[in-house]
Amino acid sequence: MADYREAPLATRPKTLDPNEYFNLSPEQRRAEEARGAVRANLKRQYQLQLNNPHRKELIEDPALTRWVYARANPYAHFRPTNKTSLLGAMFGVVPLFALYYIFKTDRV
Amino acid sequence: MRTSEYVKQQQPVNMAGVGFRRWAQALSKGKGSGISALLSGCRAASGLSKDSLPGPYPKTPEERAAAAKKYNMRVEDYEPYPDNGEGFGDYPKLPERSQQERDPWYQWDHPDLRRNWGEPMHWDFDMYIRNRVDTSPSPVPWSTMCKQLFGFIGFMLFMFYVGEKFPAYQPVAPKQYPFNDLYLEKGGDPEKQAEEVKHYEI
Repeated sequence: MADYREAPLATRPKTLDPNEYFNLSPEQRRAEEARGAVRANLKRQYQLQLNNPHRKELIEDPALTRWVYARANPYAHFRPTNKTSLLGAMFGVVPLFALYYIFKTDRV
Repeated sequence: MRTSEYVKQQQPVNMAGVGFRRWAQALSKGKGSGISALLSGCRAASGLSKDSLPGPYPKTPEERAAAAKKYNMRVEDYEPYPDNGEGFGDYPKLPERSQQERDPWYQWDHPDLRRNWGEPMHWDFDMYIRNRVDTSPSPVPWSTMCKQLFGFIGFMLFMFYVGEKFPAYQPVAPKQYPFNDLYLEKGGDPEKQAEEVKHYEI
């Protein structure tokens, strides 16, 4: 498996990842520790809410709210550029005229 | 404006009228146009405040730090999508990895989604759940799998095409009928002698 090559839908397995074995500098470790601290804080917040006996409502996840908001409001940050205009034309304008033409000319 | 409302008012105020007046004022000096201005004038106070919702692309380092803090990420880890007008704003660009790849033995807060509470969600999270797209390592390299599958399909298509071009079947001939090509059954005269029809050659 030494010639394993990655693809967009196939990542490298952890046992073949060189970062697991070589990138163990103190900076990397400190970064991992900082990430662990953030994660532990979030876990603590969640556990406090989960095990609170006086809680009656659902635990709201702000990350989920942000994700939903971001996916629902892309137009707020939309700008017409070459790529976005081309995509808009390919998906919105071209099928309209192409399908009209096909339906009108190609009769069984 | 808000301090004047603190003064206790003795006469009853029609709140609907107040609300309508404020809405008309916001519309008249609002920046938006059309339906979006009519509808999104205000948001309910029960949701998140505006500074903890996704915003525009961060341009200064302070904005980046604030955005990283908002999304519960380290400033070094935070990387927004490139600002090319495709509608991402300051949403972080997380690695394109499916949830199937995450450790199945770790105690996730939501085990079926393999995600912890408060963790920033990938933009395509609903695509990367375990029922859908999976990016975990394949047992055989991707290129090998592609070559095998498309090689087989291509070979079969080519062979079917060749078979259409050069058909190979049992030899057939037109159907042969007995009794001089059914002379009497086809309405031939019984008195007359029919011409002999021979379907063989010796």
